[in-house]
Amino acid sequence: MSTAAPHPPVPGAPSPATAPPAAAPHAATSLAPTAGSLWRRSRGFLAAALVLVLGGLLYAGLRAETRYPPLDPRSTAPDGARALARLLERQGVAVDTAPGPGRALDSGRPTTVLLTRAHTLTAAQLRELGSTVHAGGGRVVLVAPDPAELSALAPGTRPAGGGDADGGGAGDAPDGAAAVRSASTEPGCTLPEARRAGSAELGGLLYLPGGRADACYPRGGAFPLVRSLQGAGDTVVVGSGRFLTNDRLDDDGDAALALGLLGAHRRLVWYLPDDGRAPAAGGGTSPAALVPAGWRWGAVQAAVAAVLAALWRARRLGPVVTEELPVVVRASETTEGRARLYRRAKARDRAADALRHAARTRLAAVLGVPGGPGPEPVALTAAVAARLTGGPAPAGPAPGAGPADGPRSGGRAPSEVHALLYGAAPADDAALLRLADDLDTLERQVRQP
Amino acid sequence: MALTGRTALLALAGVLVVGLLLPSAAGVGLVCGAVLAGVAADLLLAAPVRSLRLTRSGDTSVRLGESAHVTLTVENTGRRRLRARIRDAWPPSSWTPGSEQAASRHRVDVPAGERRRVTTVLHPTRRGDRPAHRVTVRSTGPLGLAARQGSHTVPWTVRVLPPFSSRRHLPSRLSRLRELDGRTSLLTRGQGTEFDSLREYAPGDDVRSIDWRASARRSAVAVRTWRPERDRRVLVVLDTGRTSAGRVGDAPRLDAAMDAALLLAALATRAGDRVDLLAHDRRARASVQGRPAAEVLPSFVNAMAVLEPTLVETDMRALVSAVLRRAPQRSLVVLLTTLDAAPAEQGLLTVLPRLTGRHEVLVASVADPRTEEMAAARGTVEAVYGAASAERTRAARRQTAERLGRHGVTVVDAPPEELPPALADAYLALKAAGRL
Repeated sequence: MSTAAPHPPVPGAPSPATAPPAAAPHAATSLAPTAGSLWRRSRGFLAAALVLVLGGLLYAGLRAETRYPPLDPRSTAPDGARALARLLERQGVAVDTAPGPGRALDSGRPTTVLLTRAHTLTAAQLRELGSTVHAGGGRVVLVAPDPAELSALAPGTRPAGGGDADGGGAGDAPDGAAAVRSASTEPGCTLPEARRAGSAELGGLLYLPGGRADACYPRGGAFPLVRSLQGAGDTVVVGSGRFLTNDRLDDDGDAALALGLLGAHRRLVWYLPDDGRAPAAGGGTSPAALVPAGWRWGAVQAAVAAVLAALWRARRLGPVVTEELPVVVRASETTEGRARLYRRAKARDRAADALRHAARTRLAAVLGVPGGPGPEPVALTAAVAARLTGGPAPAGPAPGAGPADGPRSGGRAPSEVHALLYGAAPADDAALLRLADDLDTLERQVRQP
Repeated sequence: MALTGRTALLALAGVLVVGLLLPSAAGVGLVCGAVLAGVAADLLLAAPVRSLRLTRSGDTSVRLGESAHVTLTVENTGRRRLRARIRDAWPPSSWTPGSEQAASRHRVDVPAGERRRVTTVLHPTRRGDRPAHRVTVRSTGPLGLAARQGSHTVPWTVRVLPPFSSRRHLPSRLSRLRELDGRTSLLTRGQGTEFDSLREYAPGDDVRSIDWRASARRSAVAVRTWRPERDRRVLVVLDTGRTSAGRVGDAPRLDAAMDAALLLAALATRAGDRVDLLAHDRRARASVQGRPAAEVLPSFVNAMAVLEPTLVETDMRALVSAVLRRAPQRSLVVLLTTLDAAPAEQGLLTVLPRLTGRHEVLVASVADPRTEEMAAARGTVEAVYGAASAERTRAARRQTAERLGRHGVTVVDAPPEELPPALADAYLALKAAGRL
């Protein structure tokens, strides 16, 4: 009778449907779920949710390693620099990671600042950073800088033109800059760190030194390492960070060179820009930035209100009621179907036959010609013709009363009547239409002569 | 549980608080917390739905086209006041389309320990039983922020009876019956009529009706008076097979047949005949037998209320067997079926002799006015082809009727509106002719 889900008996918790009337008379009609039925209904979903959460946690635990960008001091990947950071710490160098240049600036002691991705800072920021570090006698190490960065931190040093791209390290070569593959190279200069390290794996972008500068590891007239003195401090430009990576640190004199370059001071600031954050420039402002900060929280509250409104509208007052309806077809379906078949088959003969047959039957009934549905052609034709000529209607087959050459007062000749009632099938649809109209006219005339 | 629009509005008003006073996550949290606290308080303080006691009373049957009033009594047995919206859900055809929303929803305010009545007015659009679905109650808390919602099943069934719209033909047919009965005018001696009484001869009486033996015993000339037979049996058989499902106008053929059967039953009961009903397709669907005169019409109406056409071919052999079992004595069997050529030729005509051998048979069929309409249509090619097709259908029906007539069967074929009076007239004619 009802489509409500029945409550099967619950052990321990009497459901409304099965409770004896004396025990809970008021609940006899209620469909509200009991705690037991709720538990039984929802335990499947709860189990599924639990499996989903556990599975997610397990998956996350198995794939716990985070992907770091190249030359990150936390990364243990081949292109990371965790080994170098640990080595520096063991040497007594305090390695700080900083997302921005601020931390490097507030320190009074000489500091080494490593910029592996200097392009994330604006030129003004670079210039400010350089002047602060250099004033304190510190060092800035740039990995594969472009001309703009060079002019900000190492004026005088300039990139060499022409060459091949470097496959390894963090060197992404700007257009038009000379670049070579990293390879073991002799220092060939007087820079103490380079001389102590001996040959090292250097390459990448190549630079040409300016005034007060040491250029080392020559590769065809240009240099992948250039140290220029800037104020009280200096700037070291390297063409590629490949010799700093976990992968290459134990080759050649890479480790000695890296420790020498980065461990010159007691403190190293490793600049790590946030990947998602664009350089904090004063350029374009998004529409969201124009909204006062408070109204952003207002929008959050409005979203909460929208969710509540959706919940309000979504709750139905009871389920949709369904009903089985009897199948009902139109009784005239077959008749109409046959009409369409006649039309499609152009069955003019059958259609004309049906119309004529019906007309003959009605005329015979009106004129009293016996024979039922199939009156004799001669008798019927004669009777019709007689009626149309205004003469006394013959009671029965009386062909003599309406001869073919009788007076025609608005009537028709028997031959015409015969052709109409028994004639050939019409040749086209227009003829069929005419036939139907003619039969109607004939019937009308016979009924009201 | 359910929220109200007020909750959403309150949260929206919170936008001002957050935007102007507390533009932070804490502000959002504070406003949401306040809304949640209100919702929780409402849910706690709303009257419980489960402990409501719901009972019904009111109409259990209604004629199609009229309204049924079903009263729902809501008794609040709890200690808190109940402010609720109630939906008394019934199947969709219990209301005219579009009015169900307004008709099924009620608002009640029941103080603790009291009861209130709400009346649901049903206006069914279809014959048959309408079982109440369920009663859903949304009990709102005092703040109007949230509501407890729950459902109860409160069983009740309203039976929607056939409309019997042909009742209006009954008075005229009853007066015809009284004429037959000899109560309004003297009846001449006919075949098959029953002897009623003797009375004194009056000029104008048929001399053939003078009872000479009785006249000899008394001093005056006595004539016999006659009255139509009484206590004859009429068995109305409804064919509920697939042909009865055909829609003629707005209703299936079966409904028109029922209307005609009801008028016939009302008339025959007044005429002193005993009327039985059988609805049959492949098996008997409904049966009314041996009811006293006063109960015939109600039990007919009741039995017909739940009949629906089934989409199977009627088993005429089984139907005739059922008729013969039910009517051992000579009866008038009124068969409400179709004259469509194919089913009639394969079914009815093959088994008819078994029936006509023992009973007087009347076959009534619902004609489709659409066929007449199509037959009269002219002017376009489609209309003329339609007319030809309709003429063919009519010819086939006429032919079936003639074949049935050759078996001594009376045939009534009329459109739905005219079938009940036509069938009643045919019955009266048979009665007058003494063929029952």
